[in-house]
Amino acid sequence: MSWNTVIGLEVHSELNTKTKCFCGCKNEFGDKPNTNCCPVCTAMPGSLPVLNRDAVERAILMGLAVGCRINNYSVFERKNYFYPDLCKAYQISQLEYPLCVGGGLEIELEDGTKKFIRLDRIHLEEDAGKLIHSRNGTMIDYNRGGVPLIEIVSKPDMNSAEEAVAYLQKLRSTLLYVGVSDCKMQEGSIRFDVNISVNRDGEPLGTRTELKNLNSFRAVLRAIKYESARQIEELEAGRKVIQETRRWDDAKGKTYSMRTKEDSQDYRYFPDPDLIPLDVTEEYIESIRKKLPKLAPERKAEYQKMGLTEQDATLITSERAYADFFEAVLKYFNEPKFVCNWITAEVFKKLNALEEDDRKISVTPQDLAKMLELYKNGEINQAGARKIFDALWEGETDPVRLVETLGLKQLNDTGALKAVLEKIIADNPKAVAELKAGNEKTMAFFVGQAMRATQGKANPKLVNDLVRELIK
Amino acid sequence: MKYLDYSLTEIIEKLKGGEVTSVELVKECFERIKETADLNALNSTYEKEALARAKAIDETRGRGEDVGVLGGVPVVLKDNINYLGTRTTCASKFLENFISPYTATCAQKLHDAGAIVIAKANMDEFAMGSSNENSAFGPVKNPVDNTRVPGGSSGGSACTVKARQCFMSLGTDTGGSIREPSSFCGVVGIKPTYGRVSRYGVVAFASSLDQVGPLTRTVRDNALALSIIAGADPMDMTSSQTEVPNYLSDIDKGVKGLKIGMPSQFFTDKLSPSVRSSLDKAIEWYRENGAEIVPVELPSVDTALAVYYVISSAEAASNLARFDGVKYGVRAENYEDVVDLYFKSRTQGFGKEVKRRIMLGNYVLSSGYYDAFYRKAKRVQKVIRQEFLSALEKCDCLISPTTATPAFKLGEKANDHVAMYLTDIFTVPVNIAGVPALSLPCGVDEEGLPIGMQLIGKHFDEAMLYRVANAFELAHKEGK
Amino acid sequence: MSITIDDVKKLAKLSRLEFTEEETKEFVKEFEATLNQVDAINRVDVSNIDLLEKTIDADTELRKDEITPSLRADEIVSNAPASEDGAFLVPITVAED
Repeated sequence: MSWNTVIGLEVHSELNTKTKCFCGCKNEFGDKPNTNCCPVCTAMPGSLPVLNRDAVERAILMGLAVGCRINNYSVFERKNYFYPDLCKAYQISQLEYPLCVGGGLEIELEDGTKKFIRLDRIHLEEDAGKLIHSRNGTMIDYNRGGVPLIEIVSKPDMNSAEEAVAYLQKLRSTLLYVGVSDCKMQEGSIRFDVNISVNRDGEPLGTRTELKNLNSFRAVLRAIKYESARQIEELEAGRKVIQETRRWDDAKGKTYSMRTKEDSQDYRYFPDPDLIPLDVTEEYIESIRKKLPKLAPERKAEYQKMGLTEQDATLITSERAYADFFEAVLKYFNEPKFVCNWITAEVFKKLNALEEDDRKISVTPQDLAKMLELYKNGEINQAGARKIFDALWEGETDPVRLVETLGLKQLNDTGALKAVLEKIIADNPKAVAELKAGNEKTMAFFVGQAMRATQGKANPKLVNDLVRELIK
Repeated sequence: MKYLDYSLTEIIEKLKGGEVTSVELVKECFERIKETADLNALNSTYEKEALARAKAIDETRGRGEDVGVLGGVPVVLKDNINYLGTRTTCASKFLENFISPYTATCAQKLHDAGAIVIAKANMDEFAMGSSNENSAFGPVKNPVDNTRVPGGSSGGSACTVKARQCFMSLGTDTGGSIREPSSFCGVVGIKPTYGRVSRYGVVAFASSLDQVGPLTRTVRDNALALSIIAGADPMDMTSSQTEVPNYLSDIDKGVKGLKIGMPSQFFTDKLSPSVRSSLDKAIEWYRENGAEIVPVELPSVDTALAVYYVISSAEAASNLARFDGVKYGVRAENYEDVVDLYFKSRTQGFGKEVKRRIMLGNYVLSSGYYDAFYRKAKRVQKVIRQEFLSALEKCDCLISPTTATPAFKLGEKANDHVAMYLTDIFTVPVNIAGVPALSLPCGVDEEGLPIGMQLIGKHFDEAMLYRVANAFELAHKEGK
Repeated sequence: MSITIDDVKKLAKLSRLEFTEEETKEFVKEFEATLNQVDAINRVDVSNIDLLEKTIDADTELRKDEITPSLRADEIVSNAPASEDGAFLVPITVAED
C-alpha cells in the first residue's frame, strides 16, 4: 500500500494598515528600534488597546475574497505566554469567535488539474516584536509589536509539496489582489507554518508535526518533501511519529525537533476584557463588500473578451501588479494582444531574474506604451525595441528620445536596403542557391547579414521581401 | 490649619474670591502632610513641583484668565494612576522606581481642570486587599484611630482626605476598594458605573471590574469631582458614550417620593450591632423624610464573592504577566537565562497576596478548569447582574451597609485571607453587576469609629445616588 | 475540591513564580479554603444564560486608521533595567516563534 501525505497550512499575513492594530503608532518596517512605539504597544502599566477599524475591514475584505462566512459576533481573546518579544505576555488573538470562517481557494497544478482547498478560518491578531542579537545579549524592538496580522488557516486538504506551494502562491496572489498585505517574505510580512502527517491508503490520519521557520516557497517545498519522507521512514522502521513542532534548517535541508506536545504551552485563552465583542452587522459587511476590488477571475474574463488567449489571460492576471500594469499600458496604447505579448515575454523575463520580494516592474506604463507604439508602427524593429526596453528598465525615460540617442530608427528605405542586399547576394552565391532550392532557413542568414550591415536598423520584413524579389 | 477644614466646593469659592492663593493651600497641605506623616498615607510627594504649578496658576488667575473648575486645588492620586514624570508604584516592590512615561485620562482631566497633584497615595499592592496592609511600603493607619486599618485597597486615598492632607483624591474600586476605606475612614467615595470613567492609564487589576472614582469629605464635592473625570475616552473601548449629566442640578431635590430598596440579603445577622443600628436610623430618617422603603430580593448575591474571586483573579493573572523584569520594574540580580530572569524577578517583586491571586487566576483559566470556573463564573455574573436590574426596577436606588463592621485592628485579619475576603461581601456584588454605588458616613460606633452606608444605583444614574446621599448628609452635618 | 502539591508546582511554573517547599505546602491548604469558597458558583442555575449577549453598553466606535505620535525610543526604555541603543536588553534568547 502506498503512502499519503496530508498537509494543512497556517499563513500569517501582516495587514498594510497605516497604524498598528490597537494603537496609533506607525505600521512601518525597517525603522530604528522602538521608534514606532507608545505605552500601548510596549505594555506600559495601565495602557489599553483600541481596535483599528481598517484592520477589521481588511480582514473581512480578505474573508469575502475567499468566500468566507463573516461572523456577526466576533471576540478578541488573550493568548497567554511568556516570551521577550511579547510585551504584555499575552497576544490579542481570536479563538472561539473568529471574524471569518469557511471559504476556500481553487488551485491549479502543473498538469492543469484543479483542486479546491478549503479554509477553516481567518482571524485577526497582533504581531509580536523582534529580537535582535547583539554582543551584550538579545535586544528587543517592539516596532513590529502590535502590527495587525491575519491568520489564514486551511483544512488539511493538500497532499503534496507542490499542492502546498500552489496554494500559497494563490493565497499570496489573492492577498495582493485584495490589497490588504504587502506579502514580503524577506521582511516577514507573510509567514507560513505547515502541519503535516502521513498515512497509508485506507488508514486513519497519522500523527502530525508542525514545521516552522519557512521563509520562502522553496523552503516550504523542500521542508514538506523532507518531512514527509522522514515520517514515512520512521513508520516503515516500526517507529512512531511524535506530535511536535519542528524547525526547518534551510542550510542543512533538514527539520529539527523544537518542542513536543508534552511541554506544549497552556495558553489560557479568555476573552480580552479590554476589548468589547465586535458587532459585525450585515450592513457593515455589505459596505465592505462594495470595496472589494476586481479579482483575477473577473479580470481574466475581461481580458479574454479583449482577444487574449486563455493562457495569456491567466498569465497576466497571475498577480495583481501585472494586471494593473497591463491595464495602465492599455490606457496609452490600446493594443491588448501586442501589449500582453511584450509583458508576458519581456517583462516577465526581467522579473523572473529577481527574487520573489523584489519583483517590481521598473518601467512606467507611459514609456512602455510609447515604445510599443514605435515598434508597432515600424519606427524601430524588435532588436531596437529590446534595447529601448533595457534602457527604460535601467532607469532611462522617453523612448522617442532614446530612438535618437541610441540611433535605432529603423531603416525602411527600399533603395538603400536594395543596395546593401545586392552586395550580400553577390558575395554569397551558395546561400542564394540554397534559398532558391527551398531552404527557408537560409532567409535568416540574409536577414542577419542585412542587420549586421545596417547596425541592426534594417526593417526585417522589408529585408525579407527584398531578398525574394532580388533572387527571383 | 486654616483652610484644610473647608470642603472642596468651599475652597474653590475662596480661591475664586481671592481669599486664599493656591500657593498658600499647597503650603498648608505639606505642613499637614508632615504633621501626619505617621499615617503613611502617601508613597510619593511632589512639593516643589506642586508649588511651582500653584504659583503659575495663581499668576494666571491674577491676570483674570480661566484656571479651570479646580484651578489651584491640591489633589492626591492613588499610586496606580499614571501621571507623567511621577512615580507609579502600585505599592509594589516591583515598581518601586517606575516613573510614568504618560498620564492617565482621569488624571489628565483633573490636570486640565486646574487641579494640582501633590502626592500619590499608598494602597494595597496592585489594589489587592481590604486593609491596606498589603503595601510594600508599610500599612496605612486609620486617621480616626491609628491602631486600626483604613480599609483598602484605596486606604491612602481615604486616609489623606480624612486627615485633611488635601481636598480630594482619586481611588480605584474593583470589589469595594473605594467604598470600604471610605466607610472605615468616614469619607464619601463612589464607585461609578463600569465604563463611566476611563481606565486608560490606570494600572489594571481586573479590567472588567475596575473603576476610578473620587473620595471627598462631602457628597457635593464628590459629585463635582466625578463630573470632571467622567465621560467617554477614545483611548478606552470600555468607556461609555452615555452622556454625563450635571450631577449637581438635582442634588438638592430631597428624597420625598423616592423609593429606596432594602435588599434583605444585605441585612443579615453578620452585621455588628453598631452598624445595624446606624443603618436602621438612616432608613428611618429616609422614611420620615418622604421616601418609601421597599423590600427587594437579590437571591444569588451571596455567590458574588466567589464569582469575584474567579473573574478578578483570572484577569489579574493575565494583567500582571507583563511584569516580567524586561521592560520596567525589578530585575533580579542573578539569573541563568531569560526564563530564570522571569521567575526570579517576579518572585522577588511581588508580595504574597498578589502571588496568591496570580496562582488562583491561572488555575481557573488553565486547560481543564476554564469551563468549570471562568466560564461558569461569567454565567453566574449575568444572573447576579439581572437580579440587580430587577431589584432596581422596583425603586430608585438600594441601601445597604458598606461593611458589616467598622474598621478592624491592624493585623487582626492579616493571617486569615478568607476572613479578609469576607470584608467585601456588600461591596463586591456591585462590581459584579457593573452598577454604581456610593458610600457615605451614617454615624459612628461607641468608640467613635465611622460607619458607612452604601447606596446602589441604576446604570449611569450616579445623579440619583448623589441626591439621596446629599439629603442625608445635609440633615446630619454635625456627624461629619 | 482537592488540590495536590504537584498541581501547585505546575501552577507556579505557569505563573513564573518560585516557592519554597514550605510555601508550596501552605499554598495547598490556602487553595483548598479558597476553592471551597469559590464552589459557591455551582449553587446558581445558569442553564439559560447566554454569554454571547453583551453585558456592557458597547457603543464605542472603532479607531480610525490615523497615525498618532509615538514616544521616543529613549522614553520607551526609560524604565528598563537594561537597554542598548533604544532597545530593551535581555540575556541571549533563541527564537521560538
